Amino acid sequence: MIEVTGLVKRYGRFTAVDGLSFEVRAGRVLALLGPNGAGKSTTIRAVTGQIMPTAGTVTVGGYDVSRRSLEAKALIGYVPDRPYLYPNLTGRELLRFLGRLRRVEGAEERSRALLEAFELTRAADELVQTYSHGMRQRLTFCAALLHRPQALVIDEPMVGLDPRGARDVRALMRRHADEGGAVLLTTHSLAVAEAVADEIVLVARGRAVARGTLEELRQRVGDRDADLEEIFLRLTEEAA
Amino acid sequence: MVLAAMRLQGALNGLRRRPGRALVGLALLGLVYWGMHEITVRALRFLDSYPDIGSIADAVARRSLEGLLAVLMVAVAFSVLTGAIGTLYGSVDLPFLLSQPVAAYRVFALKVAETYASSALLPAVFTVPVLVALGGERSAPAVYYPIALLALASLYALPVALGALLALMLMRVAPAGKAREFATAASVVVAAGLVFGLRALRPEQLQAMTPDEFEALLQGFAALEIGWLPSAWAADAVWQGLAGRFSAGATLLVALALVALAGLALLATRAYATGWYRSEGDTPWGGGRKRSAERVPLWERVLGPLGGGILVKDLKLLLRDPSQWSQLLVLGALAGVYFISTASLSVDIQRFRDVIGAINVAFLGFLLAGVGVRLAFPLVSLEGEALWLLRTAPVRAWRVVFAKFLGALPPMLALGVGLGIAVAGRLELSPALAFAAPLAGGLAAFATAGLGVGLGAAFPRFDSVNPHEVAVSSGGLLYMALSLAYAALSTVLFAYPSWRALVGGRSAFSWTAPDGLLVLGALVLLCALFTVVPLLAGSRRLSRWEPSE
Repeated sequence: MIEVTGLVKRYGRFTAVDGLSFEVRAGRVLALLGPNGAGKSTTIRAVTGQIMPTAGTVTVGGYDVSRRSLEAKALIGYVPDRPYLYPNLTGRELLRFLGRLRRVEGAEERSRALLEAFELTRAADELVQTYSHGMRQRLTFCAALLHRPQALVIDEPMVGLDPRGARDVRALMRRHADEGGAVLLTTHSLAVAEAVADEIVLVARGRAVARGTLEELRQRVGDRDADLEEIFLRLTEEAA
Repeated sequence: MVLAAMRLQGALNGLRRRPGRALVGLALLGLVYWGMHEITVRALRFLDSYPDIGSIADAVARRSLEGLLAVLMVAVAFSVLTGAIGTLYGSVDLPFLLSQPVAAYRVFALKVAETYASSALLPAVFTVPVLVALGGERSAPAVYYPIALLALASLYALPVALGALLALMLMRVAPAGKAREFATAASVVVAAGLVFGLRALRPEQLQAMTPDEFEALLQGFAALEIGWLPSAWAADAVWQGLAGRFSAGATLLVALALVALAGLALLATRAYATGWYRSEGDTPWGGGRKRSAERVPLWERVLGPLGGGILVKDLKLLLRDPSQWSQLLVLGALAGVYFISTASLSVDIQRFRDVIGAINVAFLGFLLAGVGVRLAFPLVSLEGEALWLLRTAPVRAWRVVFAKFLGALPPMLALGVGLGIAVAGRLELSPALAFAAPLAGGLAAFATAGLGVGLGAAFPRFDSVNPHEVAVSSGGLLYMALSLAYAALSTVLFAYPSWRALVGGRSAFSWTAPDGLLVLGALVLLCALFTVVPLLAGSRRLSRWEPSE
């Protein structure tokens, strides 16, 4: 569903992503795990068509994001790490706007259902500027799911969520994958990656330093009892 | 100083990251500087050399300088009043700065300095070359230049202090929770009222006085020696500076500026932090009123499909954000000022009325250029940090830009065509010019909306806190240069029908005759060029725009 091949992104002389490759197949959850500045968010921006790769390709559903960006974007639901939304629209109005923008069939009913599912119905007709951070995050999930995307791309999914919200989001990602969708998430939370990811790509300095299931990563460091934190520290230290 | 140095460092870093943009901005500034310098030099030489007015050339030049300073002082006042709240209470760095162990009045001082720079920079770009040219032409001593610049800096400091003072007071009395919105709207109403009120006094009515009344007024005015207005004090300071003297006008002006700024600092120590807390006290959800309903309103159902919902969204944001809807008040005030100014020139002879009508055709273009910089240019940048919603949606940049154009066009079209019809009716113009006036307004509305939205998309500033700030950029300068170029070119094309109507009488020119259709075709072509090309170029650049790492 999402295929990243030899992705390079340079900003002047600084290389943010340096030949990164991975694939997220339908029905799977892939976590990009890495420290701050590893190039995770840049990768996500390239996948969602917000930036053009310096080299390499990104395809979503077979569509090259650089060349067939409209088709690719139509398949993606995106949740950024800082979900800035129009503060002077209500939650319902925001979803209505996105329904029109993306030409979603039955957007009103879908919005109602999502607002209900994310427990925002009571606040739906009040301005977003009055929402708490967690409510905005939940509204962003509604926006990402409105058009029933095949691929869900989530940048740091747990930022600002309370424990219950975090649990619901983990369940949502798992459910999305189980229903045949693909989920790509970035996180530096080892617990999140361990809990939901079918596959983990460890990223450091813009490169993939290791990949595989948790079991495969354990084998890589030669310690069958190692938790993800130990694996992460050993492999990123090796890469440095 | 530490805060100012930090801000300056940030600005310099920004320029280093985009050297090309900085170079374009500098080149444009240099062009404006050179143009103003040349115009001033030529005007002074013309005055000096003209045999009939040579003896009073100095007085004419001084009055002209007073006039220029007065206009620019009002422009700074207007700019500060409409933008001060956004900078003083809405800047994105305020939460960080006010959480530091720094006295609130120091943060306020930094923000006043920013307001000063953003409001007075452009007027200064126009004024400094005039003063330098004047000094050069009059062989002024070296001390003239610091005196003239000090007078200028003090002159522009007065409206900035006034605007900041008003902002402080409004934030204290505005209802908590909506303080920023309320205060912004109130200060824009004051600004619009100030400009409209000054113009509505119609100073040209002095002409209607009897000679005795007028002489008495002149004697009274002469007794004041340096006049009432700070702009006259500044002109006096400049003129005395030419002889190397620091005059009474200069002393008065600098003293007043210092007193105003010191008084402001004193007030800020008491009022700034309180106003800030009031502005931050947003009501949490559950306490506010419902702003939407499950049922889609009829107007939304009608307009919804236009521009992929962007038009409806923008309209709602405009009506709910005082820093945006207040721009419409500014528009209304400008329209009123323009109509009063033109209507007050009404004369009995048809040919003279047509001359005014021909000038009106040119001025409409310039007026709409000024309106577009506030109304059309910021539209794309107003997406701000919510841009990701558009960037990740399957929507071409062209669709976004065109939707913004659809949003900017109706108010500008209403202004241009409405003023054209109103002025033509009031002046009872001959048919050719009566048609030309709304035509000029309508075409200028298309061109300036296209230029504004297109260049606003090509040079976006998604980090701006209010529309006022967006235009203070190299893109804003380019917009002004190109929209003025459009106004000048369309004036050249309109000159033909105007000239025919003026020399040949009421029915000498017809827009449906072959030459009329030719002019019409050329005008439409020019308008299309200035509308479509910037929209396409803006879409192209917007589609390539990337957030920085």
